Amino acid sequence: MRTALVLLLLLALASVVGSLVPQGPNSPERVARFQVDHPLLGDFYRHAGFFDVFGSWWFVLITTLLVISLVLCLVPRTRAAIRGLRQRPVQAREIDGFPQYSERTVATRPELAIASSQKVLRRRMFRVSRAEGVLAAEKGTLREVGSLLFHWSFLLLLVGVIYGKGTGFTGKALVVEGETWTDGAANYDGTVREGRFFSGDFTGVGVRLLDFEDTYRRTGQPMDFVSHVDLLEPDGSLAGRADIRVNHPAEIDGLSIYQYGFGWAPVVEVREGDRLLYSAPAPFGQLSPPAGVPQLALPWNGVVKLPSVGEGLGIQLVLWPDSSAYLQSLETGRPVLMTQANHPIMFFTTWRGPLLDPSPRSLDISVMRRWTTGTIGQGTTCDLATGKCWEDGTRPVGPGELTMSFPALRQYSVLQVSRDRGVPIVLAAAILLLLGLLPALYTSRRKVWVRAEANGEGTVLKVGGFALQRKSQFEEEFSKLVDELERASGEKVGTR
Amino acid sequence: MTPHELHLARISNDLFNVALFAYIASMVGYFAYLAFRREVLRIGAKAVLMFGLAAHFLSIVQRGLAAGRVPWGNMYEYSSLLAFLAVLGYVVIVEGRYKSRTLGGFVLMFAVLTMAIAVSFFYVGPGPLVPALNSYWIKIHVVAAILGSSLFALGGGVLTIAYLVKDARERREAAGPAARPPIMGASIDLADPPYYAPGADDPVGATGSTDGRGILPPSATLDRMAYRTIAFAFPIWTFAVIAGAIWAQEAWGRYWGWDPKETWSFITWTIYAGYLHARATSGWKGRRAAVIALVGFVSLLVTYYAVNLWIVGLHSYKGF
Repeated sequence: MRTALVLLLLLALASVVGSLVPQGPNSPERVARFQVDHPLLGDFYRHAGFFDVFGSWWFVLITTLLVISLVLCLVPRTRAAIRGLRQRPVQAREIDGFPQYSERTVATRPELAIASSQKVLRRRMFRVSRAEGVLAAEKGTLREVGSLLFHWSFLLLLVGVIYGKGTGFTGKALVVEGETWTDGAANYDGTVREGRFFSGDFTGVGVRLLDFEDTYRRTGQPMDFVSHVDLLEPDGSLAGRADIRVNHPAEIDGLSIYQYGFGWAPVVEVREGDRLLYSAPAPFGQLSPPAGVPQLALPWNGVVKLPSVGEGLGIQLVLWPDSSAYLQSLETGRPVLMTQANHPIMFFTTWRGPLLDPSPRSLDISVMRRWTTGTIGQGTTCDLATGKCWEDGTRPVGPGELTMSFPALRQYSVLQVSRDRGVPIVLAAAILLLLGLLPALYTSRRKVWVRAEANGEGTVLKVGGFALQRKSQFEEEFSKLVDELERASGEKVGTR
Repeated sequence: MTPHELHLARISNDLFNVALFAYIASMVGYFAYLAFRREVLRIGAKAVLMFGLAAHFLSIVQRGLAAGRVPWGNMYEYSSLLAFLAVLGYVVIVEGRYKSRTLGGFVLMFAVLTMAIAVSFFYVGPGPLVPALNSYWIKIHVVAAILGSSLFALGGGVLTIAYLVKDARERREAAGPAARPPIMGASIDLADPPYYAPGADDPVGATGSTDGRGILPPSATLDRMAYRTIAFAFPIWTFAVIAGAIWAQEAWGRYWGWDPKETWSFITWTIYAGYLHARATSGWKGRRAAVIALVGFVSLLVTYYAVNLWIVGLHSYKGF
């Protein structure tokens, strides 16, 4: 047990390191910053696995050793406990040597005294075994049973965690309003974190985002984020409708779908004359705000890429979903929160040249030429060669003229999709662990022996006992028990 | 916020201040009692304490009414409830169950510090919960966490410190000029039958009446109180961690992600698990076990303050 204890404390110590050093799986950007700021220490941390303590070989090693030492400790204890449960309480040879001992003389025959004592002990929930003129009784075996249940459940919990995390995965799905996302390896946004034994069995179920709503208080404190979705079976049929909000995930085919993030996705169309080159909602992101500026006051950034135009055309866009907030912040010089769309505008800069960066959200302008700039409002069209704009339909578009329109502003929702088949095991283990803990801590084991010896007319009732825990409480319990045994055995003759 | 709610919030704040000053006065009273041994001081301190406790309770209720939700939605409210439960735990467990009436000053010191920090650094007006906290799990997980924390603070902090102080004094006295033999229970004779070995909750150190001069309870009593309080808190804390994991599964899509709060609540759990095991194994009792309990208390403070304020994670609730 001491080995297991030391290993458990080592685990705690390792966790301290894990909470103080930035962890790669939780915050990769902080790890990167740390390595830039402290190159030497960063190198050491990287080699020691401090940036991923909970996935490092030594953390796994400690856990494995803990499991082994627990099993080695629990197997013999469990065997002994089962043996103990099967065995009747054992008679004692001498009973006057126990910490608690009392003698009473009662006016009855020994067999009757023993029979009534047995009844009393049974009523008090003792397990009793009887032999000629003697009783052995014990109570509180639940303590050991509870302790064993607690420790085995702890092991089961570890097994559930390893199974669930090992065969599961978690990823992010980005869905724009009105569009459908399908569960498949290629459709996740960014990397999918897969367990070691994940077999790549994606389900093919779909999520159609009908509407995303975000509401705020006037201070900018968020009130609610909710994605109204249709859940679709792999064949496209409707499986159900759900509102996914923080704390209220949706479930389908073993997948759990959580509200994770959101953003603006302006619909952008690019035409060459009448020919439509590009038409899609482009999900925009935000930079992290400088100190003192709320995230909601920042504009949104995105790009549109057209590799087929000349040697390549890239459009950088900066969206202000609320143009009056933008004007107000220009006037006052203070950031203004934008909690909803209101005459959105985008500032654009066009670049010509080869599109080197394959990512759909960023543009590598190092080898590109800056071409034009301008401002586009929702419902207007701009000539990309000049940057001049007009209301949709108020001017004919000449053949070959390169134009961009901004017909609509939609929102997108980022959903976290994960599967963990170990959850029911872990939950069951946690409940069992708690159930075992209560008797393990709060019950105490105690043993009592009774011997009845004939003494002239009456019987001497000798009672001995001890408790393994809560000894001071047992003293009181014992004296009450002896009084009750005496009463049950008949009239009081005398006490010695 | 309606004027009515503002009014309730103001009443809540006033009652909070009343409770804080009552606790300070009562703390002074308890310490004065330790110094001067006048029974009237103790009775007065207890009366002021009960008055403060009542005001504190009303303050928490008013706060809940003003915000229209459970009154433990941010660090200010959490701290207030934590202090309230620690004081209540003292009154019920230490004074009620163990009839030990001299330790009030120590627990009030904890309560006063917690409340003073809360009102000076964490104060925010009552308002609705941020979406991440808006779940019925806040009623289950957070209540268990506060209850477990306050009991750990009482058992692992206040009572353990009192035990260590008293134990040191008893040792000094025992090792007096005549070089007396070690205090009973400090060593175990292996020749004894196993049932003579003390159980996990049996007191270590001198028992009862050897204490002639000190006014604190004998170290054996303090030791037992500390153990029982921690043994009471441990399953509650275990439940809090489990409920938190269930909530995390619902809110963040994973029941455990080594977020700093999760990590530190696990560390605290581990240390107290170690303490309970140490008590059950001979050789790690008394002072050594008390040191583990104290380390657990420090870990608890880190779990609450450091993780919420300085270590960035999903539980960084300051400001909401």
